[in-house]
Amino acid sequence: MIDQIIALAFALIFAGLLAFIFLPENGMYNRWKKRRIDSRKMLIENGLKFIYDCEYKHLICTLNALAGNLGINADEAAKIFEQMDEMNLVKMENEKITLTDEGRSYALKVIRVHRLWERYLADETSVHQLDWHDRAEIVEHFLSKEETDKLAARIGNPVLDPHGDPIPLADGTIPKMSGITLNKLTQGDVGTIVHIEDEPKAVYSQILAFGFYLGMDFTVLRKSDDRIVIEADGEEVKISPIVAENITVKKQEQEYTPVTNRLNLSNLKPGEKAKVIGLASNCRGSQRRRLMDFGIIPGTTIEIEMENPLGDPLGYRVRGTMLAIRKNQAEMIYIEKIKTTEDEYAV
Amino acid sequence: MKNKDKIIAAVNNLRWEMGENFHDSLMESLYTEASEIANKSIVLQDRKSKFDLDRFIDRIVTSKIWGFPLMFLILSLVLWVTIEGSNYPSQWLSYLLLDTVHPVLKSFSADIGLVWWLDGLLIDGAYLAMAWVISVMLPPMAIFFPIFTLLEDLGYLPRVAFNLDRFFKAAGAHGKQALTMSMGFGCNAAGVVAARIIDSPRERLIAIITNNFSLCNGRWPTQILIATIFIGALVPSEIAGMAAALSVVAVALLGIVLSLLVSWFLSKSVLKGEASTFTLELPPYRPPRVLQTLYTSLIDRTLIVLWRAIVFAIPAGLVIWSISNISLNDLSLAEHFIFAVDPVAIFIGLNGVIILAYVIAIPANEIVIPTILMLTVLTTGLAELGQGTGVMFEMDSLQDTASILTAGGWTVLTGINVMLFSLIHNPCSTTIYTIYKETGSMKWTIVSAILPLVMGFFVCFVVTQLWRIFS
Repeated sequence: MIDQIIALAFALIFAGLLAFIFLPENGMYNRWKKRRIDSRKMLIENGLKFIYDCEYKHLICTLNALAGNLGINADEAAKIFEQMDEMNLVKMENEKITLTDEGRSYALKVIRVHRLWERYLADETSVHQLDWHDRAEIVEHFLSKEETDKLAARIGNPVLDPHGDPIPLADGTIPKMSGITLNKLTQGDVGTIVHIEDEPKAVYSQILAFGFYLGMDFTVLRKSDDRIVIEADGEEVKISPIVAENITVKKQEQEYTPVTNRLNLSNLKPGEKAKVIGLASNCRGSQRRRLMDFGIIPGTTIEIEMENPLGDPLGYRVRGTMLAIRKNQAEMIYIEKIKTTEDEYAV
Repeated sequence: MKNKDKIIAAVNNLRWEMGENFHDSLMESLYTEASEIANKSIVLQDRKSKFDLDRFIDRIVTSKIWGFPLMFLILSLVLWVTIEGSNYPSQWLSYLLLDTVHPVLKSFSADIGLVWWLDGLLIDGAYLAMAWVISVMLPPMAIFFPIFTLLEDLGYLPRVAFNLDRFFKAAGAHGKQALTMSMGFGCNAAGVVAARIIDSPRERLIAIITNNFSLCNGRWPTQILIATIFIGALVPSEIAGMAAALSVVAVALLGIVLSLLVSWFLSKSVLKGEASTFTLELPPYRPPRVLQTLYTSLIDRTLIVLWRAIVFAIPAGLVIWSISNISLNDLSLAEHFIFAVDPVAIFIGLNGVIILAYVIAIPANEIVIPTILMLTVLTTGLAELGQGTGVMFEMDSLQDTASILTAGGWTVLTGINVMLFSLIHNPCSTTIYTIYKETGSMKWTIVSAILPLVMGFFVCFVVTQLWRIFS
């Protein structure tokens, strides 16, 4: 009996050890692999990206800011700066760091890979939104120019990344920043979200939790120093100024008519009929195409036909075919219930 | 040249300004236009008055009360028909190939004076292994696949995927994995090929790796035999059959649970990702085209899988005969291996014979029991029971099989462990080869082979230790 317990204990320790070494993210093996990445090159490239970002947003970049962004101390930041200077990528005037032309094109090359990779992850893989940025942070240091152009061609030379940032072209062209951050709007303003910042992750995950997406129209209902209340898709959302600073919007001139009680397909009950009024913008890529292929477009009549023993997915009757749609996808299909009980069976 | 660059620059600027919704809007307007035209020109007759049989069936097969019981009933029925129905053809085939052709070949080789080792190698080794695989494997596959294809044709299988989807969604897998999983009950290689219906690469890989946990045709006979001998013996004889059957069903259900667990684990770690979308079209029920189904399922599934199995079984036969007949220091290679592995194997509740049988039965799980019996006779010296060194055989009666196994040191624990290990071990070489062909990746092939093997050893080990603590 003692033997068996000892054996089991050893097996447990052994399994724990294996997990410790091979765990996908924090395991020893992967840490060792990450360490082998040339950290100097990475720091320089990340530094260039940061300085570029400052210039793009018309902010002043100092050595301290650089150190803070890279997560290193001021001495190390100075060393990295020296190296960049030797490579003729940056220059400093009155404590303000700026990029040389060479440095700018280098930074744009890295940014191009980063945003292309995010686009690729968003459209072609099932990686969670929160992980796009971290994965792209690693890939951006490895792809060669040829590989990058090949990737761009494969995914249809996109011009925007999934957060709404423009992707630089192969020759380094990039449009000027447009739009303002949400906190600059005042009460009664109407806007459309054009960009959602994905850093820091904590704020980004909050934005995602609110269900905000690119292209979302909204109205600012109330605004105070510590709170902005907006109305979007029939719901009121309170957001903090920090969150608002991470959302770039375009102010709309025309009056916005709020959609009251916008329903989605998951609100439909058996026996009811509805008309599709649109697809949410965060339903993208092949998923969106597939729904449209089945005829889920504005105007289509839809009703529940099959219930599921486990409650999800449900079977819907759409244009004469029966479709099984999972709940989380049904939430992306906006509908309008048809009130009449008469038989107005559309095709 | 300059003009061209200007135009391209202008185009890019426009694309940036227009944003990314442009494609969608275009497509949406095309579809809307098309449906407007259709609405204008097509008149639908009122269909409401007619009794809708499809809806009626759907209400039952996806109902809260009947949905799941019906599913298990149909699955058990299919498996029962397969197992019962293949008994007779299997007997005929084995009578033909093992009891008739084999002696004829033996006497023919004696007539032409073939050297003993060549005779053994070719006839007792290669031929016999092939004959075993054909007679044990062909009938169940020839019954299972057509039934399966008929259910698919009928429109029932998409409803199974529909009912089970929630589990697979929770495991981060694709809803269609329910289909590849049930296909795996017939043959894992066929299940792996069937994973082509899953279009997202991540979920397809998960379906391929976990297909091995569907108890395939080649493993059902082992399960049933061992359960009858060891589990059936634990209870009064009136309910022995029932207990054995239930324990086999429990093992199969454990397989389903494991495949969900491993899918979940994979999608949380190495194959990290969100469950992709699931828009499955549920076709209307239609009468199956029986002849066409029979033809395609026989040609596409049965014969191709059988052919691959035979190709791998012949070399296995050569190996089995050789290791039992080539001796070093008065002990055959097989015995050297068995005695060397025995201490470790017994520690985890198996024995050297079982391990060796699973090594040489990698080509086809069907030959595990014949190989185990042959090797047990070889090591225990019960020579009068066997049919010669290196010759695979199966006993006609359960009692004889049981007595051979007991002589080989088997206990109830060994029986349970063999049932577990038969469920959780590396896939057969046909499946491994198919995985390689389907994924095109050596890395994933190795993962799908090694992962279940390690799990199997671990499960046997834990069960054995717990058994020894509590008994």
